[in-house]
Amino acid sequence: MSDSNADTQKGSSDFEKRIFQRKGFTFFGLGLQDVIRYFFGGNASLAIIILILICFFLAKEAAMFFPDHHRGLKAYRSAGQEFVDYIGQEIEQHTRIYSSANIAYFAEVNRTSLEEDAILRAQRAVLANVESLTARSWKELERGLDNLEDAQEDLDDLKESEGALDASALSKLTKDIAQLEAKIVTVRAKLKKEVTVVLGSEKAWDLGGGGIGISSGARAKVLDAVLFEAFPDSKEDHPFIVETKAASRAKKGLEAEKLAGFKDTLKALQSAVRPMKDLHSDLKKIALESRKEINSLETAPARRDAWLAGAESTDDPAEKARMLARAGEVVIAAPDLSALNAPIYSSVDEHRTLLATLQAEVERLHKDLPDGAETESGRKNLKKADHYYGEFVTTVRENRDKIQGWRHDKSLGLMASVGAFLMGKDWVTNSSWHDFYGLLPLFTGSFLISIIALVVAVPFAVSAAVYVNQLANRREQTFIKPAIEFIGAIPSVVLGFFGILVFGETLRMVSQLEYLQWIPGFPMAERLTILNAGLLLAFMAVPTIFTLTEDALNNVPRALAENSLAMGATKLQTVFRVIVPTAISGIIAAVLLGFGRIIGETMVVLLVAGNKIKIPDFTEGLGVIAQPAHTMTGIIAQELGEVDNGSLHWRALFMVGVILFVISLGVNFTAQQILKKLQKI
Amino acid sequence: MQSVAEDTFVEEEANPFATKAIGLKRRDQIVSILLRLGTYFILSCAAYIFLDIIVKGAPVVFQAEAPFINTDFFTQSPETLMTFETASGDEYKMNFSEYTEFKTRNPAIDIVDEHSHAYSGGGIFGPLIGTVLLTGICIVIALFVGLTTAIFLNEYSSKGKFMDLIRLAIMNLAGVPSIVYGLFGLGLFCLVAPVVTDVPAPRAILTVPLLFTDSVLSFEGWGTCMLAGGCTLAVMILPVIIAACEESLKAIPMGFREASMALGATKWQSISKSVLPYAFPGMLTASILGITRVAGETAPIMFTAALAHKDKLPWQDIPTDAEANALSQSAEWVGGFFSQSVQAMPYHIYTVAARIPQSEYTKPMQYGSVFVFMVVVLIFAALSIYLRAHFRKKVQW
Repeated sequence: MSDSNADTQKGSSDFEKRIFQRKGFTFFGLGLQDVIRYFFGGNASLAIIILILICFFLAKEAAMFFPDHHRGLKAYRSAGQEFVDYIGQEIEQHTRIYSSANIAYFAEVNRTSLEEDAILRAQRAVLANVESLTARSWKELERGLDNLEDAQEDLDDLKESEGALDASALSKLTKDIAQLEAKIVTVRAKLKKEVTVVLGSEKAWDLGGGGIGISSGARAKVLDAVLFEAFPDSKEDHPFIVETKAASRAKKGLEAEKLAGFKDTLKALQSAVRPMKDLHSDLKKIALESRKEINSLETAPARRDAWLAGAESTDDPAEKARMLARAGEVVIAAPDLSALNAPIYSSVDEHRTLLATLQAEVERLHKDLPDGAETESGRKNLKKADHYYGEFVTTVRENRDKIQGWRHDKSLGLMASVGAFLMGKDWVTNSSWHDFYGLLPLFTGSFLISIIALVVAVPFAVSAAVYVNQLANRREQTFIKPAIEFIGAIPSVVLGFFGILVFGETLRMVSQLEYLQWIPGFPMAERLTILNAGLLLAFMAVPTIFTLTEDALNNVPRALAENSLAMGATKLQTVFRVIVPTAISGIIAAVLLGFGRIIGETMVVLLVAGNKIKIPDFTEGLGVIAQPAHTMTGIIAQELGEVDNGSLHWRALFMVGVILFVISLGVNFTAQQILKKLQKI
Repeated sequence: MQSVAEDTFVEEEANPFATKAIGLKRRDQIVSILLRLGTYFILSCAAYIFLDIIVKGAPVVFQAEAPFINTDFFTQSPETLMTFETASGDEYKMNFSEYTEFKTRNPAIDIVDEHSHAYSGGGIFGPLIGTVLLTGICIVIALFVGLTTAIFLNEYSSKGKFMDLIRLAIMNLAGVPSIVYGLFGLGLFCLVAPVVTDVPAPRAILTVPLLFTDSVLSFEGWGTCMLAGGCTLAVMILPVIIAACEESLKAIPMGFREASMALGATKWQSISKSVLPYAFPGMLTASILGITRVAGETAPIMFTAALAHKDKLPWQDIPTDAEANALSQSAEWVGGFFSQSVQAMPYHIYTVAARIPQSEYTKPMQYGSVFVFMVVVLIFAALSIYLRAHFRKKVQW
C-alpha cells in the first residue's frame, strides 16, 4: 500500500480498508492525506514568511539609515555648521526673551485703548463679512460700473474720432449710458437694502472667535460706519471711525509715554545682539560654502565613474573623447578641512568677547524689565521673558565649553547618529543648510495626543463597561453593546473628516465660552490642535477599551460577587470592591491595547492634529493642548509620497515606522502577557 | 415607654460601625446614574456624528422625484467642478468635461467670474469601483491564506513551544499600525515583487532568465497598482483573519473530530465533514469583519494603490498586443488590469477633506461621499455584529 495512513490504519482489517480507503492517488510518493497536510502547511509557512518579511523589510531600510545619517552628521561637523549653530542657539534664546518682552510691552500700551481697538477691529471684520455675504450683488454692481466705463470710453473715442460724427451711433451710445446709469442706481439701491438686511442678521457679526467685545451703543455706531464705508461718498472715513482712531492713538501715546523706560530697554535689548548676529551670518556663509565643497568632493568619484561609464557605452569617438575629458576634469581629493575651518577657529575669540558683552548687557537689561504689569497678557509674557532669560543663561553656559572645545575633526561614533535621531529636537527636511532627522517633535506629538485620548476615553469606556456588565437591564445590554461595537467600525478617515469640517470649529466655539475658561488652553485660537485630535482618538479608542473591559468583567467568577452580596454588601460595593479589583489586570490590558490602537492611528491625526513639526511649547503648562503638533504616523503618510526611493529622508521615514512597530509590539506584548496571567487565575 | 424605645433607637443610630442604609442607597443611586450618564454620553456622541453626516449627506444622494436617488452621483467619476457667470448674469455650474463641451458649442459666450473647484464635480463611481476591487482582491488572498493557515495551526500542527511562538507573533502583528503595513507594502510589492517582462527596469534588484522564452523574471516591483494595494491590505488583515478563524475552529468540541476519526474517517474527511461546516459561521463573521476593516483603511493604500484623480476606469484602455494570439492577449489584459492604479473611497474622502477648501460648491461632494461610504461600511459592520449574535444564540453544543 503506497498510501500514507499507515499510522491511523495500523492493525485494521481488510474489511475496514476496503470501506475507507481509495487506492490510486499518489503524488511523488505521497498520499492524498499528506498532500492535503502539506498544502495547509505550505500556506501556513507562506503566512509566516510574509510576517517575517515585514520585519525584514523594515529592518533593512532602517539599518541603512544610520550609516547615511552618520555621514551627514560628520559633514555637518566638518563644515563647521555645528559651530555656527551653537551661536545660532544663543541668538535664538535672546530673540525669545526679546519677543516675549515685546508682546508684553504692546499689551501694556494697548491696555487703555482696548475698546477703541475692538471697535475698529469689529468694523473691519463686519465690513468684510457683509461684503462676502453680498458678494454676488457687489459683482453685479462692479460689472455695471465697468460697462458704464467702457461705454463712456467708446463715447469719448467717438467724439474724438476725426471725420463726420456718426449721429445714430452717438445717440445710441448716449441712450446706452443713460440706461446703464439707471441700472446702476437700481442695483445700488438693491444692494443697500441687502446690506441693511444682512447687517441686521447675526451672520454679519460673526467675528470668528473672541466675540465682539463692544457695547451695544458702539455696535449701533459700527453698524452705521459699516453702511457708510460700504457705499463711500468720499475718501474720508466715517466720523465715528476717525474719532475712534484718534482716541485710540491718543490713549496709546499716553501709555507709551509712561512706559518710555520699558521701550528703551527693549530697544537696547534688540541692538545688543546685532554684532553677534553679524558674526553669525558671516560664519554661516562660510560654513555653507565648506559644506558644498565637502559634498561635491564626496560625490566626485561617483561622478567620474558616471562619465567613464558613459564614455564606454557611446560609439561616437568625439562624444567619447568629450566624456573622457570631463571625467579627467573631476577633481578627486580629500577636502582640506583645516583650511576650510580656519575662519571659524579664528572667530572663536571674537565670539567670546561678543558673548561676554551680550551676556552682561542682557543681564543688565533683564533687570531693567518691569517686574509687574497691568494686564494679564503683559504679566504672562514678562514671566515668559524671565523664563527664557533662565534658558538663555543655561544655553550660554553649556555652549561655552562646547565652543571652546569644538574641533572639526573630533570623532563621531555611530551611536551619536542614533542619539541624534532619537533625541534630536528638529525634523527639518529639504533645507539648504542641513537636514535634521530628530524624532522628538514627532514623538512628543504622538504621545501627547495619545495621553489626552486615554485620559478622556478610559473613564467613559470603563464606566460604560461596568454599567453594561453589572447594572444595566437586559434590554439596555442588548442595545448598548452592539451600538458601541458599531462605533468601532467607523472608518478613521470619516472621523478625521468630521474633525476637520465640523468638530474643529465646534470645539473652538466651545472654548470661547465664559464658564469653560478654567480648562487649560482655552480659549483656543486654532481649529486643528492636539486637543481636537485627542478627543477624536478617544472616541475611537472607546470601543476597544469597552469590549475588552467588559470581557474582563465577565470573566470574574460569579461566586465572588455572590459571596460579597451574601455578606450584605450593596450592589455597588460589590462592583467596586470585589469585581473591578479582580478584573483590574484585564482592564489594564484593555487600556494598553487601546493605547496601541491610538498611537498607530494615522488618518485622524494627519487630518486634524495641525501638522506643525515642532516640539509643543510647554511653558504654558497644560495649555499645550491648544497647540498644533505633528505625529510619527502623520509624518510617514505626509512625506513618504514625495521622497526619492532610497534617499536618506526615505530611510528616516522607515526608521520612524520601525519605532512605531516597536512601540506597538511592546504594548501588545505586555497586554497579552497580562491577559495570559489573568486566564491562569 | 415611648421615650425608652426612642432612646434605644437613638443609641443604635449612634453605633459607629453601623452604616446608614439610606445614605448608602442614595450613594448607589448617584453612582449608577453617573455610570449610566457616561454610557449614554458615548452613544450620544456617536449619534451626533451620524446625524450630522446623514443630515448633510443624504440630500446629495436622494432626491424628491423619481428615481429618488441621484444616479449621476453613482455613475460618474470625480471631476473638477466649474462655476461661472455669463455677462448677462446667468449662473452656471457644471463638470469640467461638460464645460469644455459647452465652450466649444457656444464660442461667443462671454464668461466672467469663473471658478474651478477641484474634485467637487461628478460622482463617486471611480472610487467605489476601486474600493470594491481592492477589498475583493484583499479578501480573496487573505481568506485563502488565512483560512488554510488557521486550519493548519489548529488541526495539523503539533503542539509545542514553536507553535506558541508563532501564535504569539500573529497576535502581536494584529496590533501593528496600518501605516507600517503601508511602508512594508511599498517596500515589497511596489518596489521588489517579481514581474515577468521582456525588458527589465534598471531598478530591478535581481533578474532571473526564464527558460524557453525571451522573458525574464525581474524583481522590479509592481508599481502603484491595485494588486499591490490589495496584497498590502491582505497582509494587514491576515493576522486578524487567522486569529478569528482559529478561534472559531477551536470552538468546535474535540468530540466531533474524535467521533469522526473513531468511525474510521481520514483526517481530511473528518475536518471537511465534521469541523469546517460548524466553523463556517464564525469564519463568515470574521471575513465580513475583515471587509469592514479593510474597506475603511486609508493609510496602507496611500502609497501602494490609490490615486486622487484618474480619468479612466480600471478596465478601460488596457494596452494589448494586437498581433498575439487570443490566449496571450487575454493574459496580457489580465496583467494590465491588475497593474492599474485605482481611486478608492477612503483616499477620495481624505482628498476632499484635506486638499480642497470648504465652500457651498464642494460640500455636496464631501458629505455625499462620506455618507455613502459610511452607510456601506456600517451595513457590513451591522451584518457581522448581527451574524455573530445570531449564531451565538443558535449554535450550542
